[in-house]
Amino acid sequence: MKDLKELKKIEQFADQCMKCGFCSFFCPVYQEERVETSVARGKNYLVKQILAGKQEWTPVMADIIGRCLLCKRCAANCPAKTQIDRVVVAARAELVREKGLGAIKNFVFRKVMANRPALGRYARLMQKFQWMMPRTEGKIRHLPDFVKNLGKRNFPELAKTFLRDQVKPVYKPQNGQKPIMRVGFFTGCATDFVYPDFGLKFIDFLTRHGVEVVVPDTQNCCGAAIYFSGDFETGRMLADLNVKAFKDLNVDYIVTTCATCSSTLKDYQKYLPDNEEQKQRYEEFEKKVKDSMEFVIDILKIKPEDFKLKKEFEGKTVTWHDPCHLVRYQNIKDQPRAILKALKGIKYVEMPNADLCCGMGGSFSVYHYDLTKKIAGKKMDGIKATGADIVVTACPGCMINLEDNVLLNKMPQKVHHLLELVE
Amino acid sequence: MLKESLISEFQKIVGKDNVLTSPEALKAYSYDGTTSWVHEPDVVVFPTTTDQVSQIMKIANAEKIPVTPRGGGTNVSGGSVPWQGGIVLAMTRMNKIIKVDKENLTATVEPGVVLQDLTLQLMKDRLFFPPDPQSFLGATLGGIISENAGGPACVKYGVTKQYILGIEVVLPNGEVVHLGGRTLKNVVGYDLLHIFISAEGTLGVITKAELKLNPIPAAKKTLCVVYDDMAVAGEGVFHVLESGVIPDKIEFMDNWVINRIEEMMQLGLPKEADALLLFEVDGIPEAVEKEVEQITEITKKYGAKEVRVAKDADEALAYWKGRSAGFAAVFGKAKTVFAEDVTVPRGNIPKLINRCKELAKKYNVEIVVLGHAGDGNLHPAILTDINNKDHYDRALKAMDEIIESAVEFGGVLSGEHGIGLEKQKFMKKVTEPAVINMMKGIKALIDPNNIMNPGKIWE
Repeated sequence: MKDLKELKKIEQFADQCMKCGFCSFFCPVYQEERVETSVARGKNYLVKQILAGKQEWTPVMADIIGRCLLCKRCAANCPAKTQIDRVVVAARAELVREKGLGAIKNFVFRKVMANRPALGRYARLMQKFQWMMPRTEGKIRHLPDFVKNLGKRNFPELAKTFLRDQVKPVYKPQNGQKPIMRVGFFTGCATDFVYPDFGLKFIDFLTRHGVEVVVPDTQNCCGAAIYFSGDFETGRMLADLNVKAFKDLNVDYIVTTCATCSSTLKDYQKYLPDNEEQKQRYEEFEKKVKDSMEFVIDILKIKPEDFKLKKEFEGKTVTWHDPCHLVRYQNIKDQPRAILKALKGIKYVEMPNADLCCGMGGSFSVYHYDLTKKIAGKKMDGIKATGADIVVTACPGCMINLEDNVLLNKMPQKVHHLLELVE
Repeated sequence: MLKESLISEFQKIVGKDNVLTSPEALKAYSYDGTTSWVHEPDVVVFPTTTDQVSQIMKIANAEKIPVTPRGGGTNVSGGSVPWQGGIVLAMTRMNKIIKVDKENLTATVEPGVVLQDLTLQLMKDRLFFPPDPQSFLGATLGGIISENAGGPACVKYGVTKQYILGIEVVLPNGEVVHLGGRTLKNVVGYDLLHIFISAEGTLGVITKAELKLNPIPAAKKTLCVVYDDMAVAGEGVFHVLESGVIPDKIEFMDNWVINRIEEMMQLGLPKEADALLLFEVDGIPEAVEKEVEQITEITKKYGAKEVRVAKDADEALAYWKGRSAGFAAVFGKAKTVFAEDVTVPRGNIPKLINRCKELAKKYNVEIVVLGHAGDGNLHPAILTDINNKDHYDRALKAMDEIIESAVEFGGVLSGEHGIGLEKQKFMKKVTEPAVINMMKGIKALIDPNNIMNPGKIWE
């Protein structure tokens, strides 16, 4: 039974490629490997071969289709407007349908990430045992040398108390104002487990600006790592749970500080629908989702010059890294720059290739850590060229990878979410 | 299938990671930028040094295995498709810019350097390599030289062959030779360098090249000139040149192309225009201003409806982005597209354009025209569908007649794409038998075993 259901949905996109090969210039993976199977044109050609019944889901094919960061640089620059991200994601979904997820992903995606309490329990367990991992610097730890298969990666410490354990269900605007709007806060895993203080500060920021904030405890992982890996079944389940979590809360918007989360929530309608009803439900949901970067400027209409710099950042030089999930998935690039350029007390320097992927690509970096480091190396060159003290971005995924590579390259920069810089 | 022992020899030469034999990899090296030419190699080898290329060629020659050199695989004539299987020599990992010599205005590069990477590097020294094939984002120097590629800028600057001072080539027997040199003038015996330029990889493997560079002009301006008759637009080209202005680019697009580009990118192009000419002039600022005035005056005098001078670099860039999206616009609108590459002496452009219009009517097919009007190199494209036999046959006939017309008007079959596989069947028609024999003789002398990119150029 080979209906190729998921691939059939994107066949029209795959057909758009005219094989000009311009994608090679923009693909971070091709730029390292310089082999045709790395680049969109090659992947697209092989997917079309599968659709034509001339190619099987071999392990090599699985590796090829996995070797993509989904950074969308190729798609953004494609003269034929081929939506290669949809082709790759659908191919991964087809692969999972045909070959299953594999034991590790099955456990991590379906038993851990897809279940909010379980995810919390595992995170807590890891938090308890992270003392075993040596500290690189401050709150950054690295894996002990004996865990060689994950590489000598640095990653931030899990917080003592997760956001979920300290957050209230509802926050009223401060100073007893009447709320100007009611907003659902989608916390995202990284903010929940690693940066809970930042999550609380964001709530504080919103309530100071007259917003009523609700934080439903029925929300789940956004599902990015899961559905981008092709596990549409779990992806749809999470999508449905998240849609439901915010459905009856009567919120005007659903806001998150994670670029990956915001784009993932918005794009349920694009990648996941299996029927018309689902599509409509996801489309309705998408309309309310806002990334914090667009929310503060476009919705709250805070003027860039009205943001106030926190004292500790005064006199610093900062540069901006465009998360793929912000700049290409959501076309958000001007808002953060407007804030940074207007902030009094810092100097803003644009980095060369600011929109270049940091190399993380979710689970890509787990399977291809060496490639991740090489791709991140180019990002680091851009950062060095600016002479900045601080790399500012708006995606915890990027932050984790940037922090790792700044340390690997023995660079002095600190990495922050933009909203950490302001009062 | 190649013998296992040969594969392991290749692995010894270039390392395991640089030899690919999986069916998936072979599929990914079976095509280029053309729509319908596909053939898989038996192995893909990535050399990283001249010596490795030489060792591989020695084996291939002894075993009589076909070798197809391939760079970015962006060519549109089937040139890098391994038509008889064998080895694809993927040159993409030999991609170092070895030297930029500011004093002599030259650069030494490996064949796998992508043109855009070279352009960005040279920009730091305010230099540029003038040939500008529009596949610059993927095209490599080795391929650009082998196809003698051109582009819009050749109105003023000429094509690739005018910017190659010398090359290092590995011959089919593995011998390494150096043709040309590093000087601007060079008349030492036969000009063998220029036989290798445009040989489409049928004579040897280019492993290094010495390029001639120009300083980047201080100023540039773009004009968009609107016409309500495309033949009049064609005439506009030579009126401007006659008047003494040599723009660096003169590009042509017809109403169909204008509208598709507008759909894609909303540049504010005049949708009702029958045709557009895009001019770019470059040089010292004062001269550029004068030339803009002169083009405006001349084109208006000879029937232009409107002249728009781009206010700033952004507006200029938008026009050129539109132009480079032209081909995508064409390819996105039909299952099968014949992208012609005929070139006529500039004065005959209006005739060729009119002929295309007539042929479109005669065969009831859509023929759209865009291209480098400034050098007579038009790319009429016929939109068809290979699965619709009746339509496809009519398109084929129209293509035959376009090519015959180009020759009738004193032109050639291909201006910049090369013969490869795509244009083979026309080669005999438009070339004297004695000339073909001479070419074949040269081929036999250099490649007696016919292992270099066999199956190309001649049927």
